[in-house]
Amino acid sequence: MTTLVNPLDERGASAGPPAPRLDSLGGKTLALLDISKPGGSHFLDRLEEILTERHGVARVVRVTKPTYTKPAPSSLVEKLAFVDGVIEALAD
Amino acid sequence: MLSHDDPAPDLSLRTLDDAPWSPPEGRLPQLLVFVETDCPTCRLTLPYLNRLAGALGEDADRVVLISQDSAEETRALVERYEITFPVLLDDGLEASRAFDPPSVPALFLVDAAGLIERAHVGFHKADLNETAARLLMGSGHEPRPIADPHDGAPESKPGCSSRHLSSTVGSSETTVAPEPIDLLPGRGARASRIDVPEGEDLYEYCMRMGVSPFLPVVPPTAERVDAFVDATGQPPDRVVGLVPPCYGPATIEKIAANAVMAGCRPEYMQVLVPVVRAACDERFNLHGVQATTNSATPLVILSGPAAARLGFASGAGVFGNVARANSTVGRALQLVMANLGGALPGEIDMATLGNPGRFSYCIAENHDESPWEPHHVELGFGVGESTVTLFAATGMMEVSEHTARTGEGVLRTIAATLSVVWSWRRCGRVDAIVVVCPEHAATLAADGFTKRDARDFLFEHSGVPVWAFEHEGTEGTQNVGTYVEVEIYGQPHYRKFDDPSQIRLIVAGGTAGKFSAVLGGWLAGPKGSQGVTYPIGKESA
Repeated sequence: MTTLVNPLDERGASAGPPAPRLDSLGGKTLALLDISKPGGSHFLDRLEEILTERHGVARVVRVTKPTYTKPAPSSLVEKLAFVDGVIEALAD
Repeated sequence: MLSHDDPAPDLSLRTLDDAPWSPPEGRLPQLLVFVETDCPTCRLTLPYLNRLAGALGEDADRVVLISQDSAEETRALVERYEITFPVLLDDGLEASRAFDPPSVPALFLVDAAGLIERAHVGFHKADLNETAARLLMGSGHEPRPIADPHDGAPESKPGCSSRHLSSTVGSSETTVAPEPIDLLPGRGARASRIDVPEGEDLYEYCMRMGVSPFLPVVPPTAERVDAFVDATGQPPDRVVGLVPPCYGPATIEKIAANAVMAGCRPEYMQVLVPVVRAACDERFNLHGVQATTNSATPLVILSGPAAARLGFASGAGVFGNVARANSTVGRALQLVMANLGGALPGEIDMATLGNPGRFSYCIAENHDESPWEPHHVELGFGVGESTVTLFAATGMMEVSEHTARTGEGVLRTIAATLSVVWSWRRCGRVDAIVVVCPEHAATLAADGFTKRDARDFLFEHSGVPVWAFEHEGTEGTQNVGTYVEVEIYGQPHYRKFDDPSQIRLIVAGGTAGKFSAVLGGWLAGPKGSQGVTYPIGKESA
């Protein structure tokens, strides 16, 4: 019998449950997260109009990642803890 | 926050055993360090403070840790990090309010007169070394650095908001706190052993395990892996780095298992360990390199005498199947990235086209045929030292120039190729490697070009003609307002590169043939990937 050394990452995957879904957008505070790709702001500008005019979103918070190549810094994620929902926009 | 020359407030704190504590007489200067037990940056700092306490010897109590958390949480932290200096509790956060740091870790060096000499927050190796030197000198010890620039930890890292400023004080009981993150754990779990039943084909068994879905591997038998671990002189469970984007711990043993699979020899571990450290260096941003739709992948460049000693090829056919060392070290890195970093093609690795360098991308500088100083010497390393440099490289663009009789002629042709890296209208935030073949290098040297001269010429002559932007809406035109307009060959151009340092010259390849090469990078700079260089043979046991 041959014994091999496991060359893989052996930590178990720990997928967490998704955050609770919103039942409606009316009166909610939403964050629009721009990952800072060129063109993302055009998309989010229009999305903000649609959310407020058609869906009664009370407030839209705009946040931008410093770079799309890295995970959002924790200081930015902390800012998002106080909104009802986040929409992340990726665009070129 | 209190700062230079402010008097340090009197402290009235309690120890972990609930005994009152106040600064003992005659124990100044003293370093007070405010931490939170679940702050990754605080945890990253603790081993360095242990090292400082060690250097202080019997004066180790001049380093004082002040925890903003409960005795129970703090005790667990002390145990986990084997903290060897006094630890106090800031129950009620009165001391934190008095010193008022915006974030932790917060370090206050109090001088012999009781005034604050230095104050800084977050993790900064330079600050740590400066503060340590002053504390050591002020206590009658020889100053010595406690933070090595090449130990795998980032140069700097912001911390977490100080508890006394947090609006969530007192609410922690209502939520289940996740396991705190260790940014650079010292030790990891041992790799499990897998008994393969008699009669199994070991090669097919490894493929089924999913260790390399793209090319068969050498089975990582326990005997082979143990020999590779032994070659490092390091404990098998020592963590060299956490491999992005899934941050699997790359222990010596796991690196060894992947090195065996790639077909390495045990002595290549002295190269592979710093290669993995470099890949996990935050500046390199392997997270982005592995997840991007771009084709960039790490190119490993060896410089210095270790390369030839270990059998790395630097001459003819250097990018091809030319030597076991090049082929297997490059492949071992790719296996580590897939098996420990977790990025597989089409899943997290979203490269549109990929890159043949993903099988192996590893070259050595041809020092024998270079008229110039080696790359690592340019970076400040000694001639006798050896290094690995990682650069996120796209494919190789060959530059044939067989008719130019002058160095300038050669450089004009290379500059034209440099002008189209990434996309021909894209200027700025790009970088590139220029692999200069020995014949071109000889022509340049004969015409008096130093390496710096050649690089500066390439910088000055790489650009995109202004007329190329007349057609709007194509790549590169969005940012044209930020470009720098210059004259190149008397014609208006936008400068291709932000700075000459974005062009690196490496002499490599065979002595016959006037073929150099340009390898474009991924996004350059702190917002993308920065090339990183680590020394070979500096790992301590």
